[in-house]
Amino acid sequence: MKRVFAVARREYLERVRSKAFLVSTILGPTLLAGFMIAPILLARQRGRPLHVAVLDASGGLGADVTQSLARRKVAGEQRFVVETAPEGPIDQTRAALQERMVRNDLDGYLFLAPDALERSAAEYYGKNVSNVMDLQLMDKAVEEALVSRRLAREGFDAERVRSLTRRVDLKRIRVTARGAREDRGASFILSLVLMMLLYTTLAIWGTAMMNGVIEEKTNRVVEVVVSSLPASRLFAGKLVGVGAAGLTQFVVWAACLAAISAAGAGGASAAGALPELSPPLLVAFVVFFLLGYFLYGAMYASIGAAVNTTQEAQSLVFLAMMPLILSVVFYPMVLAAPDSTVSVVLSLVPFFAPLLMFLRMTSVSPPAWQVGLSMLLMLAAIAVITWAAARIYRVGILMYGKRPTFPEIIRWVGRS
Amino acid sequence: MGPIITQLSESAIRLSGVTKAFAGHVAVRDLSLAIPRGSVFGLLGPNGAGKTTTLRMVMNILGADAGTIEILGRPADQATRDRIGYMPEERGLYPRMVVEEQLAFFATLKGVPRSEALRRVGPWLERVGLSEWRKRRLNELSKGMQQKVQFVATVLPDPEILILDEPLGGLDPVAADSMRDTLLDLRRQGRTLVLSSHQMETVERLCDSIALIDRGRKLLDGPVREVKARHGKNTVVLAFDGDGTFLAALPGVQKVTDFGRYVEIRLAEGSDPQSILGAAAARLRLSRFEIVEPSLHDIFVEEVTSHGVAAA
Repeated sequence: MKRVFAVARREYLERVRSKAFLVSTILGPTLLAGFMIAPILLARQRGRPLHVAVLDASGGLGADVTQSLARRKVAGEQRFVVETAPEGPIDQTRAALQERMVRNDLDGYLFLAPDALERSAAEYYGKNVSNVMDLQLMDKAVEEALVSRRLAREGFDAERVRSLTRRVDLKRIRVTARGAREDRGASFILSLVLMMLLYTTLAIWGTAMMNGVIEEKTNRVVEVVVSSLPASRLFAGKLVGVGAAGLTQFVVWAACLAAISAAGAGGASAAGALPELSPPLLVAFVVFFLLGYFLYGAMYASIGAAVNTTQEAQSLVFLAMMPLILSVVFYPMVLAAPDSTVSVVLSLVPFFAPLLMFLRMTSVSPPAWQVGLSMLLMLAAIAVITWAAARIYRVGILMYGKRPTFPEIIRWVGRS
Repeated sequence: MGPIITQLSESAIRLSGVTKAFAGHVAVRDLSLAIPRGSVFGLLGPNGAGKTTTLRMVMNILGADAGTIEILGRPADQATRDRIGYMPEERGLYPRMVVEEQLAFFATLKGVPRSEALRRVGPWLERVGLSEWRKRRLNELSKGMQQKVQFVATVLPDPEILILDEPLGGLDPVAADSMRDTLLDLRRQGRTLVLSSHQMETVERLCDSIALIDRGRKLLDGPVREVKARHGKNTVVLAFDGDGTFLAALPGVQKVTDFGRYVEIRLAEGSDPQSILGAAAARLRLSRFEIVEPSLHDIFVEEVTSHGVAAA
């Protein structure tokens, strides 16, 4: 046991002290924070209000549209600076407006044709017509003006109609055993973020494990090590050591994530968008990470033992990556119907469980027996795979030269 | 129990009928060896003879297909293997690990407590002249210095038996000399040294006893002196001026090997070196005549040839 610990200690320290670890541990949360904060900052960056002219050929609509546009506000600020185009021959006015646009004196103009009301149509001529948000706003402003005019013509009170036909605000409230709370998409985003975190860490640390094994082989240090302790213990020590390093990184990331969402809570709590990061969920996260890591780590390690170089590993790595990729492929399906039979079965499969069962835990609350069963199945799979991997490892670490074929590797498992 | 075991087991390592086959070929066939305690033992043979496979089985890196291995009088297990220091032919250390950490790590793998291992690092590094490299990463050291670190890693746990695969391989003459001194030092302390090499001459002088193996089989073994005596004093070294081509045709001469400044003449069994001296002196100006023991190389070639004939 002491020797397994010595191996684990060495693996852990070598990894944690490496520059790559420092960079990714710090860079990870920084990027994550960037991804979460940048859109908010960008959304606030709207630029100056648009300066538009209204060219009215419809006779009478112009004033309504101008007023309607002037009422549009984003974050408390008026979005359009509106002016009325001077009267005169239409073509001449158009030319004058276009010239002002070229001079940067104007962002664009709105043309209301004589039959604008009948056709329910208008034209916007702008320097930029891909600013979707602003154009949607303009669209709505013109529509409101036109609809109000038609309502008035039929003898309705436009304000009253608007208040009677206003949109429904459908609140989404998630009910769990711990109570109910409003959810504006935060739990979806949370499960997505945590899933991607799980996926990347599993892939990264599995690969790290594999490269470590290949490196020991290339350095020939492995023969010295296995002359002192059995290959299976070296294998166990490596799994534990690399896993502990992964967990360390993970804890740092989780702490950052918690800090970010806590910091975000200050600004976002008014909107009630605080993600639900309950302690049981965090525990489940760590447990699934560890189980997933041991499962995939053992597979990656045996691939490392079977090959001579990282290049040779590529074709076999596919075997280990496949279940992980499939989990991501199944992700939308499980998300759409977390309680369907297919979802339940998929989330019980050991290779998919770390991602899919966890996803189900964040969206619905699956029965405890399902969570328990998936963990049990994973433990069983880990036992089988580490047993086979330790055997492949024992034979493979001393094999140099030709890369073994897949059937050959399978034969190693049967060898005593 | 302890003293009795010590008395009963004169062998540091004993192999009985050990066999190991890999897919398609037998690497070691029915090999029995007794390596005496407190001596220097040479496991000699050409590349591919099965030396490394044998040593790997002793260290349980490979499992034997058949036969038994005893270490210090007890069946080989983890505890007895902890008393062996093993330096494989393919040297290997962790390139990014600090020298001191590296040494402590390998010692803990042998069951030495970490603090004790760290205490031993200083004196050993001083002995091999690497004191100032203690805190440096291995990949900052030269190849020669890395070899020394590897050796220190092997001896740091203070093993009773040292197994060194090609101990002088890759060393420059000065380093090889100091390695020889260190090995003899360890032997003086009563340790058993097992040296494996395909360069028989370089190891020969260090060994008390040897085993010659070829293609997985033992050709012969025993104390070096006995081995040589068994093969008789049937080699003559001759240095001379003139044309010595006639020597090969003399009666009783089996083989003449020309080394440029002298020739080595192998005599057939029963022929008298004196008759060669007479014949040579009659036609050449001799500057040296010596009857010598056959070299291990010659013994090996002879054994291989005779066994080869027997096998065919």
